Amino acid sequence: MGRYVVRRLLQMVPVFVGSTLLIFLMVNVMGDPVAGLCGDRQCDPATAAQLRREFGLDQPRWQQYATYMGNVFTGDFGTAFNGQQVTELMSTAFPVTVRLTIVAVLFEIVIGVTLGVLTGLRRGRPVDTTVLLLTLVVISVPTFVTGLLLQLLLGVTWGWIKPSVSPDAAFGELIVPGLVLASVSLAYVTRLTRTSLAENKRADYVRTAVAKGLPRHRVVTRHLLRNSLIPVVTFIGTDIGALMGGAIVTERIFNIHGVGYQLYQGILRQNTQTVVGFVTVLVLVFLVANLLVDLLYAVLDPRIRYA
Amino acid sequence: MLLDVRDLRVEFRTRDGVAYAVNGVSYGVDAGETLAVLGESGSGKSVTAQAVMGILDTPPGRITGGRILFRGRDLLTLKEEERRRIRGAGMAMIFQDALSALNPVMTVGDQLGEMFVVHRGMSRKDARARAVELMDRVRIPAAAQRVRDYPHQFSGGMRQRIMIAMALALEPALIIADEPTTALDVTVQAQVMDLLAELQREYRMALILITHDLGVVADVADRIAVMYAGRIVESAPVHDIYRAPAHPYTRGLLDSVPRLDQKGRQLYAISGLPPNLTRIPPGCSFHPRCPLARDVCRTDDPPLYGVDDGRSSACHFWRECLHDRDH
Repeated sequence: MGRYVVRRLLQMVPVFVGSTLLIFLMVNVMGDPVAGLCGDRQCDPATAAQLRREFGLDQPRWQQYATYMGNVFTGDFGTAFNGQQVTELMSTAFPVTVRLTIVAVLFEIVIGVTLGVLTGLRRGRPVDTTVLLLTLVVISVPTFVTGLLLQLLLGVTWGWIKPSVSPDAAFGELIVPGLVLASVSLAYVTRLTRTSLAENKRADYVRTAVAKGLPRHRVVTRHLLRNSLIPVVTFIGTDIGALMGGAIVTERIFNIHGVGYQLYQGILRQNTQTVVGFVTVLVLVFLVANLLVDLLYAVLDPRIRYA
Repeated sequence: MLLDVRDLRVEFRTRDGVAYAVNGVSYGVDAGETLAVLGESGSGKSVTAQAVMGILDTPPGRITGGRILFRGRDLLTLKEEERRRIRGAGMAMIFQDALSALNPVMTVGDQLGEMFVVHRGMSRKDARARAVELMDRVRIPAAAQRVRDYPHQFSGGMRQRIMIAMALALEPALIIADEPTTALDVTVQAQVMDLLAELQREYRMALILITHDLGVVADVADRIAVMYAGRIVESAPVHDIYRAPAHPYTRGLLDSVPRLDQKGRQLYAISGLPPNLTRIPPGCSFHPRCPLARDVCRTDDPPLYGVDDGRSSACHFWRECLHDRDH
């Protein structure tokens, strides 16, 4: 187990370097980092050249990347063009997005798994068909439609919630946005749970459990669910990274000042430091989430643990 | 009679129509007796056993007739809760492939102990101790350590021993073993079979051994029931059947066993294939493959003729078959 963790940690290094290098090159080479500084007008060539020297942009690319990464590891993500430290932006944005993600994951677990178990055990019955149809609708409709619709109905027409989230973004305000963010994944979790359950229901070890004379609820919880939920848990785990980075649409709709909002602003204003900084942290989040999922997998499935 | 199955009928709804898997099977076992149920795949031997255990998949399966008397009570009239209490405690089943029949994410100790926790209300700790005892009983080395292992950490033979231990746990009166050695190496097969036979004698359990392996049967069985297309075609004490089969299908099975003194000669095989269970031939269902078949076999379904004391054969020409020993 220990060696497995070390191996996985080592594997993370090239992935981290590769992905950050890609995003660094994309922003600094393909775009012009200085262009954003002069607002909507074209930059004066002399000023631009001076700024380039100042930011070290006249140096070779690899050196720029090395310098950047060096700074990142000392906790310096650079300064946004408005003079704010990128780390400062992060310290306000990440807690908000983390809260939003927690709400979304809770929805996935509670509603998604429950519906999945319900339909998996009652395959072919009306409940199953109805839920299946609903998940299909949720998956097919883009998030911004679901989001705007809920905002309009619950926030404006019926006035049950505030249509936009305050800068504090407390948990209570994030329930509807969390549901919107979770919606598509929730539908997938439902379907995954249902299929996994229906498959395992026919497994030999379930028949054995019945033949042992175990009560039905014990057959279902101890034997059927324990096995069926392994792929679901790993799906939800990997989804955490996706939810944190993919909240751009939801955060825009509900005016939540989280990671997605900052990224969006950064891209819009060509704010290089913000974009590279946030993406670098998101890459780390993805990597750590995936590592945790793999370790969790080993805990849940002994066949992997000792392999 | 400990278990008395009478005229059992089971159907399956399939896409191609109704499959008649079991068509009036009757058999019984006494305490301490071993009945071997012999037949090809699809002959209905496993389905009958599943119906007895009450683990038939319904739907698509359906019991359409007959009675299953266990200690004089008809299991088919009992409520599910009553049947559940009998499963595991009164009768237990050993499955063919122990790797898939054991839960992959549960330690063998928990899976064995579960029997005591559920049926006897024991604490987990006591149940664990009993699990170690059971593993010792089926001669798994270092049971006290291995009780925390998972099924995939055991060899095939050891896993099948765990299945046997699980079936033995509550000392049931009847054990049904569905091809218990088919998935094992030949050398391990003999060990597992010997162990099963020994434990059966010790606990005086009745054993229904479902198999298609005639070699296994000869050593351990008291009686043999041969099944074909969901019916019992011949039933007899084990020695009688080997000496002189009273049904051409049994004869075909015996003749298709490879023998050392026939080395180099072509192995006998029964011609044709077992019937499609959705379209079982009229008359005797074996007639399209039978060397003795005549017109009457195509129209008249043979009843089980009493051949001798404790012997019966569902062949119109059982006399011919019995006496014509050398074809």
